[in-house]
Amino acid sequence: MLELRLVQGSLLKKVLDAIKELVNDANFDCSSTGFSLQAMDSSHVALVALLLRSEGFEHYRCDRNISMGMNLNNMAKMLKCAGNDDIITIKADDGGDTVTFMFESPTQDKISDFEMKLMDIDSEHLGIPEAEYHAIVKMPSSEFARICRDLSSIGDTVVISVTKEGVKFSTKGDIGAANIVCRQNTSVDKPEEATVIEMNEPVSLTFALRYMNSFTKATPLSNTVSISLSNELPVVVEYKIAEMGYVRFYLAPKIEEDEEETKPQV
Amino acid sequence: MGIKGLTKLLADNAPKCMKENKFECYFGRKIAIDASMSIYQFLIVVGRSGTEMLTNEAGEVTSHLQGMFSRTIRLLEAGIKPVYVFDGKPPDMKKQELAKRFSKRAEATEDLSEALETATKEEIEKISKRTVKVTKQHNDDCKRLLRLMGVPVVEAPSEAEAQCAALCKAGKVYAVASEDMDSLTFGAPKFLRHLMDPSSKKIPVMEFDVAKILEGLNLTMDQFIDLCILSGCDYCDNIRGIGGQTALKLIRQHGSIENILENINRERYQIADNWPYQEARKLFKEPVVISDEEELNIKWSAPDEEGLIAFLVNENGFNSDRVTKGIEKIKAAKNKSSQGRLESFFKPTTNPSVPIKRKEIKCMLRSFKPAIEHRMFSLQPSNCSRPMGFGKLSLPIYNMGSTLSIFV
Repeated sequence: MLELRLVQGSLLKKVLDAIKELVNDANFDCSSTGFSLQAMDSSHVALVALLLRSEGFEHYRCDRNISMGMNLNNMAKMLKCAGNDDIITIKADDGGDTVTFMFESPTQDKISDFEMKLMDIDSEHLGIPEAEYHAIVKMPSSEFARICRDLSSIGDTVVISVTKEGVKFSTKGDIGAANIVCRQNTSVDKPEEATVIEMNEPVSLTFALRYMNSFTKATPLSNTVSISLSNELPVVVEYKIAEMGYVRFYLAPKIEEDEEETKPQV
Repeated sequence: MGIKGLTKLLADNAPKCMKENKFECYFGRKIAIDASMSIYQFLIVVGRSGTEMLTNEAGEVTSHLQGMFSRTIRLLEAGIKPVYVFDGKPPDMKKQELAKRFSKRAEATEDLSEALETATKEEIEKISKRTVKVTKQHNDDCKRLLRLMGVPVVEAPSEAEAQCAALCKAGKVYAVASEDMDSLTFGAPKFLRHLMDPSSKKIPVMEFDVAKILEGLNLTMDQFIDLCILSGCDYCDNIRGIGGQTALKLIRQHGSIENILENINRERYQIADNWPYQEARKLFKEPVVISDEEELNIKWSAPDEEGLIAFLVNENGFNSDRVTKGIEKIKAAKNKSSQGRLESFFKPTTNPSVPIKRKEIKCMLRSFKPAIEHRMFSLQPSNCSRPMGFGKLSLPIYNMGSTLSIFV
């Protein structure tokens, strides 16, 4: 038996919009601590990890750990039918093969019940170790989205380098090259407009812009984004979800050819 | 070729062992390819019309080069790193099978000369395909081409499939690509079919996982090898009247070929006295392969542009524009293959959650659950979604015949 009632239903709509481009089908895992999801894109280059902690729900009941396989496009279609102010309740019965989304209008005068068929998805779960990152950049999410969009009109890949000077995003393409440097900036009126750079060691990594652009679909979830970089690890792009959790995107870097030869491969 | 009826047997008995993936999913992966099988396919398919094939000015067939060139570029463009493995000397036990193939070809050649006089064009093409043989010259041409393209070539001491499987077991490649199911019998942990099919056919790659096969069939690797020998392999005849299904039943019942032979009804099944199943088993379990790192020398390098043009354009009459374009593609692909995969950083774990939708559990749990059709109208307190309604038996107002409900 599962019953999760989320007063701010629009959050769930935004979460789906953030991840459905990257992943088609995924298992939502539900336990007493929260509602979560981990899924890779079909080419296993990017991974999305979502967590909505149980405290963030008005009512949260989950009797045992279960996972529900859903087609994210279909789920998004159903959630589109919910109003932005609606309260969304997710319900499922043990052993059932459907999940029900219930939408209540704020005035309680309209209740909609959408039932969706579940799927059997055999997905690979990856263990993500806690890591100390060489550099963490926090910046306004809209700024990051803008940078990714602008750069992708010039090239396919972005080099993100963090130095004492700031964080530099650069690309090269057939028509030319582009460099955008953002410096630390904490003297702003609102804290969410600040750019904060924590750096232990300078880093420089190359990523495919196509994926970065797809991550920025999560921009409506949060005013700020944090980008964690380490030289030997995938980048983490995290959008916090107000008071209740996060959407994190992991992206494997592009690797220099000769480095790869010496690396043990799986 | 391969193991008789194994694909169907697996589909019926261990369906979880096979998985369809998109071709593009394999970028960044190193894959060992059974070259002879691919060359054979190219000779059959590429640039053929009737008995006519692609040739150079000297009249030598070049279908295999055309196929190898374009198909390898396709792999490289998808970011795949191929290693081609060529057959060495066939094991003695395969001679019988090879002789059979030879006589079939001889028959087909005869048929062809007859057909040329009477049959329709389609029939002629069909028969002439049966006369195809991969010669040493074809192999050598392809090796030369691949080396010029900067793609590693491994010359197996004996069977190519066995060498491929050994590379995969040693973790030097991610998977083995062939159409020959005995790659599985050689124990290749991951085996791909249809990787080399032309893109126009749009067939997804079929990935087999040996560990899941053994789990699905509930057999050990040794028992699986015995199963393959019983089903019919290239090295020795199988027992008349025993096919895949019966073989599986017998292996599950008795555990090994030795035990089966002791218990089987000898009158019903004719078994040759010196049935060489033990030798066949040895070939599968301890095939002759190279494992020395230096001898293997698996390295991907930049293409030799001048060499390729000299070989393909000057010697074999390829269109020079197409070859130049191909070389450009190889160079561009080098960049693409640098994209890392998440699995090289994070290791797989098991997910602690149990799928809510699982067939076995479903039936079990159903019996505990009262049949409620319309949850909207139910009195069950747990179905009230407003927590304030909890424990109370009063219905929230909206449940009373609400006409605004939408059922999907």
